Amino acid sequence: MVALVIALALFFDFTNGFHDTANAMATPIATGALKPRVAVGIAAVLNLVGAFLSTTVAKTISGGLINEGHNGVLITPTLIFAGLIGAVLWNLVTWVLGLPSSSSHALFGGLIGAAIVGMGFDSINLSILLSNVVIPAVLAPITAGLVAFLSTRIAYAITKKRQRSGFRYGQIFTSSLVSLAHGTNDAQKTMGVITLALIAGGFQPSGSSPEFWVILVCAIAIAMGTYTGGWRIIKTLGKGITEIEPAQGFAAEAATTAAILASTHLGFALSTTQVASGSVIGTGIGRKGASVRWRTAGRIALGWLITIPAAAAVGALAALVTQAFPFWGVIGDAVVATVIIVGIFLYSRRSTVTSHDLSLEPTQFVRPKKRKKKALQEGTR
Amino acid sequence: MIAWGSFLVVLVASVVGAGGVVTLFSLGLRFAGPDTAGGRRRRALGVTCFVLCGALIAFGVYLVIPFFHQ
Repeated sequence: MVALVIALALFFDFTNGFHDTANAMATPIATGALKPRVAVGIAAVLNLVGAFLSTTVAKTISGGLINEGHNGVLITPTLIFAGLIGAVLWNLVTWVLGLPSSSSHALFGGLIGAAIVGMGFDSINLSILLSNVVIPAVLAPITAGLVAFLSTRIAYAITKKRQRSGFRYGQIFTSSLVSLAHGTNDAQKTMGVITLALIAGGFQPSGSSPEFWVILVCAIAIAMGTYTGGWRIIKTLGKGITEIEPAQGFAAEAATTAAILASTHLGFALSTTQVASGSVIGTGIGRKGASVRWRTAGRIALGWLITIPAAAAVGALAALVTQAFPFWGVIGDAVVATVIIVGIFLYSRRSTVTSHDLSLEPTQFVRPKKRKKKALQEGTR
Repeated sequence: MIAWGSFLVVLVASVVGAGGVVTLFSLGLRFAGPDTAGGRRRRALGVTCFVLCGALIAFGVYLVIPFFHQ
């Protein structure tokens, strides 16, 4: 059972990696600061390094969301397994749709759903859910959007037009920093889940920190996922919302980095995915002549809205099955989940998005606006 | 229940951090980037801006890696 949980947790880590490559690397790829393959390579290495840098978060994975511990309920490996199924399936669905949704929300959602089935609604701390997850989810894109908007205005006010391609060099540093910050945070969630399962299964004393091999495999899983590259989501974030110029890319990444660092160190947790998406929208509003495709932005927002309920529903369903049929339910869950995962991959093959779709044509940054006006004027004369 | 105070702190810190990096890098490009007709002094000013910007980013790296401040 525990082995199954670990395998599934590592697969979740993998989907987490390729889901979140876009957060750091969508903008440098979109502006041509980094070639797609190089970008995901850098992100993968930094995620690998980042996973080793910090092991403090992993202990408090549910962050008090689920009332575990002495007075609360005991979470079993089976429930963690059910929750992970919810998280993995929802991550894959949003990937096929190209939606940058938060992997941590999917994880929380799945675990919440499984916990409700296992122990009733009392097991969920609703006020903590609201103040730690729901409200930050609304504030994160707004904060990042505002910061990115201001940064974009500053960048365009100071520099001359011809100098702005220089921002590409800056982008390499800012996007790398986002990647590193991501690695220190997100690999830990999986470490936390695996450690939780090991503790729940009685293999590890309660309250101990993750074993070294757990850190190692989590780091490798997230790096592999990152290198595989979620090209669909990169396309949505880098090109779907707005056309990004190097100065905008730099401003957006600076905003993302600043918001993430500030939130992790000043105690108001914000989701990396939501911050990154908000930055891109903000920079789209900030540049004159740029337009934001609000339909795409709306789809993304809708995806965020249903992430937790959807993952919770799947997690709850999986947990129900395991409760109805203690042994065969787990096997059944695993088989059904595998079939669905394979199905999603086969479905995704019908319209592939690869790194080649994201390489730039050299004429992309020539804005035809002025010329058009002139041509029009000449035409009317 | 919502910690508006800490949210405000995060917002201000983000604006200052991101604004600082962008301003410094932009000034660097303005003074020392391509297409500048400045003398040596302007160029030195631009390079200084780049260095300060790099220092800010290095501070970011410092914050990311817990080994340095714990």
